[in-house]
Amino acid sequence: MKPMLSTDLNAPDTTVEKAKIEVKNLNFYYGQSKALKDINLSLPERSVTAFIGPSGCGKSTLLRVLNRIYELYPKQTAEGQVLLDGKNILDRSQDLNLLRTKIGMVFQKPTPFPMSIYENIAFGVRLYEKISKAEMDNRVESALKRAALWSEVKDKLNASGLSLSGGQQQRLCIARTVAVKPEVILLDEPASALDPLSTAKIEELIDELQADYTIVIVTHNMQQAARVSRQTAFMYLGELVEFDRTEKIFTSPREKRTQDYITGRFG
Amino acid sequence: MAEHTVASFDEDLRQISRLINDMGDLAASMVGASTKALLESDNALAQRVVSDDAIMDARQRELDDRAITLIAKRQPMADDLRSVVGAIRMAGDLERIGDLAKNIAKRVGSVGVSAAPRDLTHSIDSMAQMVLIQVQGVIQEYTVGDATALAKLRNDDERIDVKYTAVFRELLTYMMEDPRNITACTHLLFCAKNLERIGDHVTNIAENAYYVLTGTLLPANRPKQDETAMSAPAA
Repeated sequence: MKPMLSTDLNAPDTTVEKAKIEVKNLNFYYGQSKALKDINLSLPERSVTAFIGPSGCGKSTLLRVLNRIYELYPKQTAEGQVLLDGKNILDRSQDLNLLRTKIGMVFQKPTPFPMSIYENIAFGVRLYEKISKAEMDNRVESALKRAALWSEVKDKLNASGLSLSGGQQQRLCIARTVAVKPEVILLDEPASALDPLSTAKIEELIDELQADYTIVIVTHNMQQAARVSRQTAFMYLGELVEFDRTEKIFTSPREKRTQDYITGRFG
Repeated sequence: MAEHTVASFDEDLRQISRLINDMGDLAASMVGASTKALLESDNALAQRVVSDDAIMDARQRELDDRAITLIAKRQPMADDLRSVVGAIRMAGDLERIGDLAKNIAKRVGSVGVSAAPRDLTHSIDSMAQMVLIQVQGVIQEYTVGDATALAKLRNDDERIDVKYTAVFRELLTYMMEDPRNITACTHLLFCAKNLERIGDHVTNIAENAYYVLTGTLLPANRPKQDETAMSAPAA
């Protein structure tokens, strides 16, 4: 009798990959309350990592630490290290604007600016670069193409970004993120407000983008995590419970808490 | 294991494991009855095995239906996913066991009419007992969730393979001794081969069940000693 499966899920993952982001001993506080507890995690370059877990488990918080967007709010503090290419981004000396060009973010609800489709993309680019009109045209076109939106909007670039459908708006936001040439893209529930077809387009897009970017996605939809990611982190009550290859997490997780969550036996 | 938040999910899974249990019981009863019919030249019993096979096929179709519907509706994960996919595979093996038992039953008439001395079938009888214990054991161990026993049961198939080799040689000797035995012994050889293959399906079931329970695969290489492999044609 031959083995049932050609891939042995229990074999250690021997592929040595460069870590794009390394989280070390990270603790996070909302005022006095501790939201992340000693997180250690290494995100490989050019691959998709999913964070899953029940509401309040800290997955969005962790995502928000990765580009320090939490600093927009008072009384939120992070301790520990988040190394981007070996450099600690939590360091006071880190230039936040530079950090956010390297680490782009897309939110749950599409957030196009109240301006034209073209300007939605050009606006961000202009903040960081001075380029000619022709170059900008190219940049806008290639960003829209990367976000699989070009064919739908190429004849109405001057129309308002808000005139697009929800799924198109979300892809516009992804185009806007891609246009400033980031290295890492953070996606916070990017498809949870979209219909299945738009969701499929976003997932297809994530699949294509991982060839060039390191992607981190927070999602409540476990099938989506299983489909799009290469490794998955399961978080619960501010702890990182299990982090492994996605196939392993969804077919035979090591931890009982992971198993109970993904099979719908929680609580 | 804790219950699912959605109670009907548990009920769907329970129905699938009930079907596997039913099919396992039916398979054991068919294997037992077909060899009994063979040894006692009981045509009526053989006929019952043949009609039981239709029930087995219907059960498998029902299980496939339920499993596919469950996957579509619930998108099972982890141990749930393993148990549903495992059930589909195990049902396939149980259905094949039913086919092989039916094949034995269909030979009862041919063996019975020829002048086969009783002692020709003696070693087939003991081989059949070994196989029957395996068939009954595998579903029982899966039901109680004993992975260690399943690993052992899978290795025990080796004894059936050794026994098959012995039966093969014995029947060959009978045929050489007296050509009038050839018809009966040829049928008995096919029966022995069928029993040996039933043992292989039990091995598959044990491996699947082990994976369902533990999430890990048993090592690929199991001791294998079918020394007739070169000289005996596949039945």
